[in-house]
Amino acid sequence: MIIARDEIRDLYDAYYGVLDDVDLHAWPDFFTEDCLYRVIPRENHEAGYTLCTMQAESRGMLKDRVTGLTRTQMYAPRYYRRFPTAPRVTAQDEASVSVRHNLLVVQTLVDKQSDIILSAVCHDRIVRDGDRLRFVERVVVFDSEMIPNSLVYPA
Amino acid sequence: MNIPVRPPEGENRRAWPADVDAAVPYWVYTDPAIYAEELQKIWYAPHWLYVGLECELAEVGDWKTTTLGEKPCVMVRSGEDEISVVENRCAHKGVKFCQTRTGHSKELICPYHQWSYALNGDLQGVPFRRGVKRQGGMPSDFDPKDHSLNKLRVEVVNGVVWATFSDETPPFREYLGEKFWKHYTRVYDGRKLEVLGYNRQHIPANWKQMQENIKDPYHAGLLHVFFATFGLFRADQKSAVDIDDEGRHGILISRKGEQEKTEAMADIRNFQGDLVLEDPRVMDVVQEFPGEETVGMITIFPSVILQQQVNSLTTRQIVPKGPGGFDFHWTHWCYADDTPEMRLRRTRQANLFGPAGFVSADDGEVLEMTQQGAAGSPDEHFILQMGGREIAPTDHQVTETAVRGMYRYWRKVMGL
Ligand code: FES
Ligand SMILES: [Fe+2]
Repeated sequence: MIIARDEIRDLYDAYYGVLDDVDLHAWPDFFTEDCLYRVIPRENHEAGYTLCTMQAESRGMLKDRVTGLTRTQMYAPRYYRRFPTAPRVTAQDEASVSVRHNLLVVQTLVDKQSDIILSAVCHDRIVRDGDRLRFVERVVVFDSEMIPNSLVYPA
Repeated sequence: MNIPVRPPEGENRRAWPADVDAAVPYWVYTDPAIYAEELQKIWYAPHWLYVGLECELAEVGDWKTTTLGEKPCVMVRSGEDEISVVENRCAHKGVKFCQTRTGHSKELICPYHQWSYALNGDLQGVPFRRGVKRQGGMPSDFDPKDHSLNKLRVEVVNGVVWATFSDETPPFREYLGEKFWKHYTRVYDGRKLEVLGYNRQHIPANWKQMQENIKDPYHAGLLHVFFATFGLFRADQKSAVDIDDEGRHGILISRKGEQEKTEAMADIRNFQGDLVLEDPRVMDVVQEFPGEETVGMITIFPSVILQQQVNSLTTRQIVPKGPGGFDFHWTHWCYADDTPEMRLRRTRQANLFGPAGFVSADDGEVLEMTQQGAAGSPDEHFILQMGGREIAPTDHQVTETAVRGMYRYWRKVMGL
């Protein structure tokens, strides 16, 4: 699949922009209808376990994650800011482009110093879906051994 | 009126509220001296501590590191039918010699001076014990038998490994009591278990708060809007609380209802009757255990929660880290003979639990907030009057009885 580097950069700029702005309702739309989204501890990933800290197997489940978060969960107010490295294309075929990059997610709670909540590598697969690029798969494998309490927002 | 529980003068001056069973001072969460005593009188005393699942050690020589109380430990398959739990602290100079979470080796070797231990903790090799060219070496009265790793007593019970630092701990079944043996074997019924994966989080709250949280059914349908909305756990459902004779272990039992507006909803501010899931596969629940109960949340004092919440099965190990925090290690598991569909179902339902769980994240958050409130007022107290002042099993969940039971037991072992 021919996808230009610039387009990939634009996709990530928009994706992380939406998340940093906590525009959660716009988030699921970055994924195809049938997608796989995982935020998974490195130890699980390496052992071949599929158990995740957050998982969605469709855009519907991503929307449910947003619903759960905004309408049912209780959590202290916080800021999340994501620091991705530049995307590196690792494979390409007719259907998709595989991209990898590192990601730091920094959390700031009221009255607290900022904390790294995730130190991760993202294994993404991107496709052209209609008029835009979307993730068909995004697996965020985090090194962090001990999450500082809750992981509230997605990565 | 407060009842002194420490000498009235001096640094450790402490008092207990007069409403003894239904009030608890906040210093139980914050006082470093109390915490230090808890380690000795609870964690290193006659109590069984959760170590891991037997299936985590497949082959002889497989090991897994963990922490019991504050002590680093290793659980090792030391024989075909033998699991040993030893302290991860070299008998020479204290090195925590196993550093990875898991490993496999023929013996345990300390990197510092290469002392080597058999898998059961016996000291086997001390380099240059007899000196080099007749120089140095250990004195003639050095006996390796006196320098094994500290060995814990171990019981493997239906796939779960338990250990204790004390010689006085009764056998595990007796420690549970017959009622809790029944609750335990409802899920840990002897079938082989398999790990699905782990979650780990640090919760900045006193470790007892985690025990209390799962002994407190009152909060479940209120704090957890997700539970209440989808009928997983709600005040108007047929449910029960059981506690053992000592008051230390507890279980919350309930059965799933529907997403419906009932009379009890009037008190649940956040009930979201119109909430629909776009992809309800996460709520695809099957009844797999005998009886009509869909929830059995067991707290085994002091170290673990055994979760059966619909089809999500986990052990949640508590590792205390000072008065103000604990590490929470989740092991999500399935039965070895589960179908692929069942494994997928359990994996999906894990979205409700762990540090990002629709339900469990609420608990971590509210425990941290409780610690924040308590920290500034150690001599104030919280109240535990829901359901009265009795400490007895109930057939409803509008009660804090199991929390009262735990504190009565806690005061007894702490001598307060
Ligand atoms: S400290 Fe372990 S061998 Fe010296
Ligand atoms: Fe809870």
